[in-house]
Formats: sequence, structure tokens, C-alpha cells
Amino acid sequence: MTQTNPLKKTLITNFLFLLFLTLFAAGINYLNKEGNFGQTGYESFALGFVMLAAYSAAKLLKTIGLPIISGYIFSGIIAGPYITGFLNLEMVHKFSLIDDLALSFIGMTAGGALKIESLKKRSRAIFLNTLLQSIMVFLFVYSFIIFTGHYFQFIRNLTHPQIIAFAVLLGVIAIARSPSSAIAIINECRASGPFTDTILGVTIVMDVFIIIFFTIAMTAVQIILAESGVVDYLSFSILFCAIAISFIIGALLGKLISFYIKSFGHDLALLLLFVSFTVSKICMAVNPLIETHFNIDFHLEPLLICMSAGFTVQNFSREGKLFLGTLDRISLPIYLLFFTLAGAALDIKALRMCWPLALCIAMVRVFGIFAATWLSGSLTKDPVKHKKNAWMAYITQAGVAIGLAQIAARQSMEIGVYLSTIVLAVITINQIIGPITFKIALGLTGEAQKK
Amino acid sequence: MKIIFAFLLIIFLAFSGYHLSFKKFRLPLFIRGFYLSGTEFLFLGFLLGPRLLNVIDNETVKALEPFTTFLLGWIGFLFGLQFEIKKLRRYPFEFLIGSILEGLITFIIVFAGSYFILTNINFLEDNLLLPAILMLSAAASCTAPTGLALSTTRLIKKHNNTVKLLQYISSIDGLIALIIFGLAFFCRIPFFSEAGLFYDIGKNALLYMGASLGCIILFAILLSIRKDGPELILIAIGMVVFTGGTARVLNFSPLLINFLVGFSLINLTRNEDRLFTVFVAIEKPVYLLLLIFLGVSWNFDTIWILFPAAAYCMLRFFGKILGGYVITHINSEMKKYPSLLGIGLLSPGGLPLAILLDFQKGFPGLHISLLAGMVIISVIYNDILSPNLLQRLLRDK
Repeated sequence: MTQTNPLKKTLITNFLFLLFLTLFAAGINYLNKEGNFGQTGYESFALGFVMLAAYSAAKLLKTIGLPIISGYIFSGIIAGPYITGFLNLEMVHKFSLIDDLALSFIGMTAGGALKIESLKKRSRAIFLNTLLQSIMVFLFVYSFIIFTGHYFQFIRNLTHPQIIAFAVLLGVIAIARSPSSAIAIINECRASGPFTDTILGVTIVMDVFIIIFFTIAMTAVQIILAESGVVDYLSFSILFCAIAISFIIGALLGKLISFYIKSFGHDLALLLLFVSFTVSKICMAVNPLIETHFNIDFHLEPLLICMSAGFTVQNFSREGKLFLGTLDRISLPIYLLFFTLAGAALDIKALRMCWPLALCIAMVRVFGIFAATWLSGSLTKDPVKHKKNAWMAYITQAGVAIGLAQIAARQSMEIGVYLSTIVLAVITINQIIGPITFKIALGLTGEAQKK
Repeated sequence: MKIIFAFLLIIFLAFSGYHLSFKKFRLPLFIRGFYLSGTEFLFLGFLLGPRLLNVIDNETVKALEPFTTFLLGWIGFLFGLQFEIKKLRRYPFEFLIGSILEGLITFIIVFAGSYFILTNINFLEDNLLLPAILMLSAAASCTAPTGLALSTTRLIKKHNNTVKLLQYISSIDGLIALIIFGLAFFCRIPFFSEAGLFYDIGKNALLYMGASLGCIILFAILLSIRKDGPELILIAIGMVVFTGGTARVLNFSPLLINFLVGFSLINLTRNEDRLFTVFVAIEKPVYLLLLIFLGVSWNFDTIWILFPAAAYCMLRFFGKILGGYVITHINSEMKKYPSLLGIGLLSPGGLPLAILLDFQKGFPGLHISLLAGMVIISVIYNDILSPNLLQRLLRDK
């Protein structure tokens, strides 16, 4: 009797499922083409379709070596408003509730994955990488725009000060990473080791620093564009205050979570989901409230709060293993929805409009990352295979960068449209390529499947 | 923001509450029965709803509709997963026939009574009359084994055979109820209005059956490979959301279509036990969420509603007694069970409430919400009555 190869069976099953699912969904869409059927159910239908299709597509792509989050992202792009329109912009916006939940959840996982002992061992590498990447990526992107910007039709209409402001903001946003993608890839590859610890450490530290860099850049831009000639020191104090408070709240929350695990322990997965969601929503409610009542731009960061909470549980209690295990068990639906919706939200229209410039910026950014990681690796005497491949792990970019671009666009109206369009286009490229290169890097350094 | 706050509150209440509910505290019997079935969450929902505190207003209820679809789907799917044919075969065939017969008799009695009353008082529009009667009859047919949880172990051991039959009927008679309830959606005439009623029913039936079959084939393919735990959780959520959404898009019942899918998959695929474990893991919180949502939409604007609720309760009571009597006389094997078996089958459980919520979402309107309010009160009546009557049945035997 011949036995079917399991890989072949997975491939055939997922292919058939995807095919029939698409046909079924097309059939329902056809019946609903005049919109006279139940519209309230359409969101559930679309969400269910996206979940199942992304799962199946990711399984298919995994067989050719692509990371599963790439599968989710590609499915999102295809189902999204710019390709098939199965998920329209309104729906993507509506599902942002899931994004908020997932980001906080991922923050908790990231914090939980950081262990003090590993960080101590890699502190020099993390420090140097963070410092050099911040400087070099910024300088590379900034210089590229300043020296070659006038060759691109897309920004030719900007004045010189506007191009400088544009370059400053783009340079800073280029530093941003995607902790969510990093965590997802590391989890998928079950990666562990010094290379992985460094990447995780740098990605998370950078996530804190990027907010500070961005505030400095925004102040600089305001001076350049002569909106206000004075450096606003108060806003810096408020920023540091907000970051510190976010960490403190997170630490307290972490203590509460470890107390809960120790004393009760049941339904931990549900509690963690509930906590993630509550943190993100409370921050969303409190931040504008403080802004309105005290007239200060005070932003509690849900991601930092959750990271700090995860870090506290992992490093200052005995419940770290159970905590991380529980997060891992429920992470699949969250990652799937988060990255699929992220894929659907990627602005293909923006990419179509300015792809030559976006591609150049993405490449320049990669050069910057390569130079920084190589230099840092040389200074810390890392093995050659780490030095050679580290750049591939830092390409991904997602939510934080988009958020920063949106803030910048709102506050600097003259260059806002250009900035958000180009940032979205660059992120689209980075988010498509980044997870793939990251997985390759983990494989080449031999740290995949080591956990 | 209010929607999010309400959502957080509901989730928090359900997940914190289910550890307190369904436990045997030392309370008077009728209150214990009430507490055991989680009925207090109905009142909690009513308290938070638009008629009292307005924490969860109508707009919030509407915005959370995908979530209610998910809840209904989850309940339907889980109910379907309980019908594993190879497990059902372990029981005598008379049990199956008896359960179906009992459900049908209750259905017929309540259908006839409701039809007589509703056609005479002119309460509902013509197109809502048949679906509403079907819903009332279907909800009345369901039974839950809640009351048995209140009985002492000694009593259960002493009447082991009767308890087994009661448990069996409680888990089976909902099947008839649910299928009959599905017929209510077949009678809708929203899209093919130029045609006659039977043409519509036929076309709707074809559409719904096609959609159900499509979902079953799809998921049977997907589950033909063994899945690990996290993947199964993802697939379970995806299936319920997709199937529920499909039902809502077609203006069909997410409860029924998910039931059909669950029933088919448990008997067709290789992941049955693990799939059941995934679904049953959050059964109680899902049920409490359902109660909260029903409580929120509970229309209790007039005290007079207590009387039709009592009448409906009486009809159901009569149906159950008659049903119990008939099945204990179908053959000599069944004659060893007490003739008043019906008084042990009064606890309604969660399925009629799910049917009610599903109906309210599928057929919105003031009169329907009043009717649903009446059924909720009747469920409460039954929750109060049933533990005492069950004790009496087991003691008298």
C-alpha cells in the first residue's frame, strides 16, 4: 500500500480548501452583489473568510519556505481594498479593534521574551546596535533625500526647507522597527541564542527610543518650517514623564498578573487577552482626556505598558514560564488577524504612485542597517555569520512607523501628504521583504529551531 | 468609546461571573435552581441595558452584532458536536424515539396553543405570525439537565435509569426544536417577493441548504488533516465566524447552520475529541454572555406580560407532561419509567435562550421583542418550578 507524503497531503488539502473557500466566498458575494442581503453579517463573513484563507495560504507558502506571517500579509494584501476589495477600507478601519488588542498582546509577549540574564550578556551589542543603527540609518536616508530628492518627480514640488523637513522625518521613521513581526518570526522559528537575543533587545529598545527621536525630529521640523522658532523643552519633559509612567504602570500590571497566576491561575489566556485589550483602550481614552483637560501632549504608550508588564512577570516572578506558555498557546489567531489586517491596510495605491522613490529609500535604509550592524558586530567581535546576516533581521517595519507618519502628516500639513504616501509605500516593501529575510537570517545563523 | 466600555464590561462580567455561577451554594432550592442556570445574568443584562442604566444602549447592541453572531454560532456548533452518532448508539433505540416524540408532542401542543391565541388577538403582522409561532414552539420543546445538578447523589443513584433517560432526552430534544426553528427562516419573503410563499420557501431552503452543505464540505476538507491545539483554536474561531457570517448575509440562522456544521464535522472528521474540547472550554462564559445580551434586549415595559408568559409556561408544561406520558407507554421497555416523566423535563436550559436571541436578530421589531420578553419570563418561571418538580418525580417514583 502506498503512503501519501504528509507534506504533499498538506499541500493538496490546503490548496483545495483555499480554492473552494474562494469559490464559496465569490458565490456569496455574487448573491450579495446588490447589497440586499443582511449587511450586518457581511463583516463576520469577511472576517471569517480572511482568517481561514490566511491560515490556509500561510500553510501553503510555508511549504516553500516562506514565514507564516508573510502568508498572512500576502493574504491581507490580496483580500484588501486595493486588489480584490473583499475587505474594504471601512471594514479594515472597523477591525482596528483587533489591531489594538494584538499590539498590546504582542507587546506583552515581547516583554516576556526578554530575560535579564540574556540582556546582560548582550548589553554591549544591543547598545552599539541601537546607537549605530539610529545614527547611520538616519544619516543614510537623510542624505539620500537631500542629495537626490530633486531627481524624483514625486517631491520635486517641495521647497528646500520642506525637503529638509521631509528628509529629517523620513530618516527618523526609517529607524523604526516592527517588534510584532520580530516576535512572530522568532516564535515561528523557535529561535534562541545570542543573535536572537540581540535582535529582540535592539528591536524593543529601539521601539522606546524611536518615540524620543521622533519628538526631537518633530521639534526640529517645526523650527525648519518656521512654525515656531523656539525649542519646546516642556514637551520633552512630558515625553520622558509619559514613558516613565508607562513603564511604572506596566511593572505594576506585571506584578498584578503574577499575583493572579500565583493565587488563582485559571483562565490565564482569557485574562491576558482582557488585560491587553483594556490597556490599549484605557490609553486611548485617557490620552485625549489629559490633552483636553491639561493642554499637554501626554501619551501613555500601551505597547510600552504591556512590554513592561511582560518583562516584570518574566524577570521578577516565578510565573514567567507559564505566562509565556499561555501567550504562546493563544498567539496564533492574534498574529493571523493582526498581520492579515496589516496586509490589507498596506497602501498599494501609494506604492503604485511612488514606487521608484520608495524602492530607493528602502534600499538606502537596508544599506544603513547593513553598515551599522557590520560595524557593531566588528566592535563586539561577533562571529562573521552574525555580522554578515544581521541586517536581514532589521528590515521589517509596521504599525509604529505608520503611526509616526500619520502624526507627522497631521502636524506638518505642507509635507504631510508626501510623507504619509512615501512612508506607506516604503513600509509595504519592507513588510513584504522583511519577514522573509529575517527567517533566512535565523536559518543562516543556526539559531532557528533551537528553543 | 461607550461601545468599547460596554464590551469590556460584558466580557469582564461573564468571565469573572462564571466561576461563581453554576456552583452548589447552600441556598433555598428554588433560588439555587435560578442561580445554577445563571439566570441572574439575565437581570444583570437588563440592568445594564437601555431600559434601566443604559450602559449598553441600542447603538452598542447594534455595534456588537458580529459578536452576538459569534456567540450564537459557538453555541450552535457546540450543540452539534454533542451529536456524535457512535456515542448516541450506546443508548437504547427507544430513548432516541422517545426523545424525538417528546419534543414533537411539546412542539405540537405549544404550536396549536400559540396559533390559536396569536391568530385571535391580532398581535403580529401576517408575515411574522408563522415564524413567531415556530420560534415559540421550538423554544418550548427544549429541555436541559440543569435540575439534575441540584439533586442529591443518593437520589440520582437510586433512580439511575430515570436520570439517564432524563439526561438523554435533555440532550436530544433540542435537535427537533432547532430544526423546527430553522423553518421559521424558510418562511421569510424578503428577496423573492414577486413569487408565491411556497416558491420562496423552496428557494430559501435551497439557498440555506446549499450554504450549509458548502460550509460542511469546506471544513471537512480543512479538518481532514490532524491539527495541533493552537491551530484548532484558530480554525474553530474561523469556522464559527465564517459560518455565522454566511448565515447572517443570507438572513439565515447562525445557530442552526453552525449546529449542522458541528453535527456533520463531529461525525465526519478525525479531530472530533479535540474539537469538542476547544468548544467546550469556554461554554460557560459564552452562555453567560448570551444571557447578558438577552437581558439587555429584554422588553419588560408592561407588567401584563407576566400573564401571557404564565399561559405559555402552562402550554409547555402540558406538552411536556403529555410527551412524557406518551413515551413511557410506547413499549414495554419504556413502561418501567414513571408516567409523570414530563415533570422532570421542565428545565429549559440555554438553547431556548439562544433560539430567542437568534430570532430577535433575524426578525427585529417591537412585537417580536415583546414576545421574546414573554419567553424570557416563562424561562424564569420554569427555572423556579423545575427543581421542585424534578425532586418530586424522583422521590415519588
